[in-house]
Amino acid sequence: MTTTADQDVFAPVQKSITVRASVQRAFDVFTSDFDSWWPRSHHIGKSPMKRAVIEGRAGGRCYTEQEDGTECPWGAVLDWDPPRRFVFAWMITHEWGYQPDLSKSSEVEVRFTDVGNGQTRVDLEHRHFERMGDGGATMRAGVGAPGGWGTLLGLFAERLEKDV
Amino acid sequence: MTTYRDTQLDALGDRTRRTILARLRRGPLPVGELANDFPISRPAISQHLKVLEKAKLVVARPVGNRRFYELNPEGFSALRDYFDEFWGVALISFKRRIEQLASEDKA
Repeated sequence: MTTTADQDVFAPVQKSITVRASVQRAFDVFTSDFDSWWPRSHHIGKSPMKRAVIEGRAGGRCYTEQEDGTECPWGAVLDWDPPRRFVFAWMITHEWGYQPDLSKSSEVEVRFTDVGNGQTRVDLEHRHFERMGDGGATMRAGVGAPGGWGTLLGLFAERLEKDV
Repeated sequence: MTTYRDTQLDALGDRTRRTILARLRRGPLPVGELANDFPISRPAISQHLKVLEKAKLVVARPVGNRRFYELNPEGFSALRDYFDEFWGVALISFKRRIEQLASEDKA
């Protein structure tokens, strides 16, 4: 029996966006040019983020470089299938620290599909929240806490709106 | 100070309670059937369920003369809401970068 709770609680988060670029171009900008678009507030370092990197190969690291000279790992490339798709582990604990254990990490798949007229649809799926175990539920507590990502995200969204 | 959030953290800080949540992922169960899977007494399971219920992680539903326990979507949905917004913001930022590159190419 599949319950509503099952569907709601651990269902993947799915987001899509269509961009005016070829599949190859969209894939390249998303991955090798990751630093050029990744929101600056989205990192788990203790000082401001300087650079965000996804290493383009199976087993590649996802990390940020911080202004204090430290590196913050936050993921690992699980599947690398350019320019159609790639999958990375989301190695972040509910306390917004690094989670070295892949079996306790959720994962994100990104697919790139030609939709004609020189446009590409990017489909992103963040799944396996259940692997985070207790963290999956407690993470949202951290998100809502003062200074958590929820707050930073709010500030970021405000700035975006000002730019428009 | 004990807040609502602390209650949830406490509720999840126990291995038995985490295992109960994992069992309930497969579907609603009455206390008796849940207790069969654990080496502890039925009253002890009831106590754990009370803690989980208070933390809004499970909800009890009467079916006939029995109470079935199931996961409470309300207690979990904020995480998904958060990532939904998180990735929405990230993808819009990505799209802007693509458009910026396209206009640079034309220039």
